[in-house]
Amino acid sequence: MKNKIKVYRAMHDLTQEDLANKIGVTRQTILAIEKGRYIPSLDLAFRIARHFGVNVEEIFTYTEEPGHTHD
Amino acid sequence: MKKNTFYLLIGCIALILLAILYYSVEVYRPPFIEITFVVAIAIIYLARQRVEDLIEDERSIKITEQAVVRTFQVFWVVFAAFSIGAVMELLHVPSFQRPFHPERPPEILPLKFMGYIQLGLLCLMIFLYVGFRIYYARKYGEWETDEE
Repeated sequence: MKNKIKVYRAMHDLTQEDLANKIGVTRQTILAIEKGRYIPSLDLAFRIARHFGVNVEEIFTYTEEPGHTHD
Repeated sequence: MKKNTFYLLIGCIALILLAILYYSVEVYRPPFIEITFVVAIAIIYLARQRVEDLIEDERSIKITEQAVVRTFQVFWVVFAAFSIGAVMELLHVPSFQRPFHPERPPEILPLKFMGYIQLGLLCLMIFLYVGFRIYYARKYGEWETDEE
């Protein structure tokens, strides 16, 4: 799963801390999502997209990763 | 309540528990420490709900869930494997050798020690949980740093 959160944060002049506070998660969660270490739930993905006023597909792109496990 | 106040409270409760454990051993009254322990955990849970700056989001919940599941997966196998040995000792399974010996064979490990080992295994569970918690926290980027 790829995402453009960093780009959208830059466009809206937001730090990770700012976005985290507005979405109601920790800064580490935003950082982990940006780096692809954590795949957010649909609920969180929609909240992020809604915060930036775009569709969820604009920010998140699904890419099949070979050998990827979900645990 | 602030996060640091909460941690301070946990420290105080731990100290009080230690003192009560000492007293409980001195007067040989196990219910003292048992009841106090339950009360202490209840206080910690209640206090935790009042902490304002402690954010628990879906990622931290997932880390905890994964660590708990893996801990139980490993623990039950180790605990069951050891307990099967204890049950064998308890049931006095006879030897299949001829001639049949009805008398009890010598104990490999006395039963009371098996109880102690099971208690030890329960304590091991805490270390297993901490280990898995660290593993999943790292996996989901808990200590990652960024250029910001």
